Amino acid sequence: MSPPIRRLVLDVMKPQEPNILELATVASDCSGVDAVNVVLVETDREVQNLKLTVEGDDIDADALEQAITDLGGTIHSIDQVVCGERLVEQIDTPQDR
Amino acid sequence: MSDVTRLRDRLDSVSALLEDEEVRSISRRYFISNGFDGTLTSIGVVVGAYLSGVSDGLTVITIGLGAAVGLGTSGIWSVWEIERAEKQAELMELERAMLTDLEDTAVQQRRAGARKVNAVASGIGPLIGILLPLIPFLAEGVVVSMLEATLLAIAVGVGVLFAFGAYLGSISKQNWIVAGIRMGLAGIVVAFLNLFLPG
Repeated sequence: MSPPIRRLVLDVMKPQEPNILELATVASDCSGVDAVNVVLVETDREVQNLKLTVEGDDIDADALEQAITDLGGTIHSIDQVVCGERLVEQIDTPQDR
Repeated sequence: MSDVTRLRDRLDSVSALLEDEEVRSISRRYFISNGFDGTLTSIGVVVGAYLSGVSDGLTVITIGLGAAVGLGTSGIWSVWEIERAEKQAELMELERAMLTDLEDTAVQQRRAGARKVNAVASGIGPLIGILLPLIPFLAEGVVVSMLEATLLAIAVGVGVLFAFGAYLGSISKQNWIVAGIRMGLAGIVVAFLNLFLPG
């Protein structure tokens, strides 16, 4: 059994409608999702780029992607994945300075 | 999914559509525009029928119902086709911006739902506009004469037009009485124009 996904950070593009409120609600309704944070990164005449951060005990990534696609959005990239028994933060190394 | 849940989902999506300001705005335009057409047609029909010597109310109602079927069908059919093209064009523009296919997404389904609401509003407008002024003819021969029924029908028609105008005035923060009178005037103009028609 694969370890549970606990956090996903996604770069999402979606049409202006449905709005960001609806996207956040739909994402939080997905299986294994406990909390959602959506930030507007860039807005255009027709579309919006969002940073979607999702946390939960066992996020169903496929269901989340399907929910976003059903709303007319697309996932441009998966920017962070945290999985396992607990949340692990990124650790700074000397190279990061 | 049970039938009750499916019905509830359907009602929820219809009520979400009715809350959408864009859907309301487009539906309102079709409703008022075709309602205006229907009311003026109805006034034209009743005045024309009276002036041509139609002697019973039922005949006027039958003629009016024919007009209602025609304009109601026209309202629904034309908007169904207009909105198919308009919404398809909108979706294609959005797909170009998103670089993706939006078929079977909420974006596409909402447009399909909005199109149905637009078409229904467009069909109801002329039905109200035509049927309400015909009501006095139900009482022809019992309570009122043909002349009185015709005058009452014109009054009802002008009232319907006034209501359309007042409604438009109220949503645009104009003086609703003035806006209502402006629309109502059209009914009186049509009734007068009919008087000067040959025959």
